[in-house]
Amino acid sequence: MLSYNSVVNDSIKYNDLTISVVESITKINLRGKKRDFITKIGKSISILLPTESNTSSNNEDLNLLWLSPDEWMLYENEKINSENDIYNLEDELFKEISKINYGSVTNITDHWVMINLKGQKVYELLSTSCPFDFKNFKQNKGSVVQTIFNHIDVIIHHKKSNDLNLFVRRSFCDHLLSWMRDAASRM
Amino acid sequence: MFLINCPYCGERDQSEFSSGGEAHIVRPKQPKELSDDQWAEFLFMRKNIKGVQFERWNHAHGCRKWFNMARDTSNDKIHAVYKMGEKPPIK
Repeated sequence: MLSYNSVVNDSIKYNDLTISVVESITKINLRGKKRDFITKIGKSISILLPTESNTSSNNEDLNLLWLSPDEWMLYENEKINSENDIYNLEDELFKEISKINYGSVTNITDHWVMINLKGQKVYELLSTSCPFDFKNFKQNKGSVVQTIFNHIDVIIHHKKSNDLNLFVRRSFCDHLLSWMRDAASRM
Repeated sequence: MFLINCPYCGERDQSEFSSGGEAHIVRPKQPKELSDDQWAEFLFMRKNIKGVQFERWNHAHGCRKWFNMARDTSNDKIHAVYKMGEKPPIK
């Protein structure tokens, strides 16, 4: 795992909006089309793969996001620590899926950074530079969208009401955070 | 700016997509038997019509899947969106 120091160590707080980087969260990319792949995932992590577009499924520890008809992203709720080793989950899935060619399992923990957006003004912040229409997204808990925000690719997961997890590629993270900081200060 | 109905994700803004040019161009089965002119015809020559054109599009900033679209190039009206490998639903 990368030794990464975030530009934002504490949360940035504005009226009705909190932006915080949540590091490090285990993230795993899953790809597969076979029926066996879908059953194996369900058995290994006790979550059914969401097959409907723009949706997610979850249990107490894990969230599984639909990215495309044959691609999903798995992420943990808890931060990585010595007891909760990043490679346990990956190893387990790798043995069950990749090794027997049911699909592919890739650890993308260091690829994406998770930013938590919380508060009444989250959608106001997103609307400043996102072409996506959040009308239905807002109403359905667990919705997922891959879109662009300030010309940067992002994945947004509707966790709870006015509580979103936004994933951005690490190299764009600093830029997006300073841009959000600026946008939020004007709201 | 216009909206495109991705067959996998639903309606999204055009800025999330990238165009892949003309659709339904069949790759020659025996490229080595073709003359340079015939190969260039397959490789480079594309229609640039005013009217309904069949195009390939990629949802580059979404599901990253390719699909086909029948679009009127004069007014950007989308007549049909269909998956790769499917035949055009309109003529």
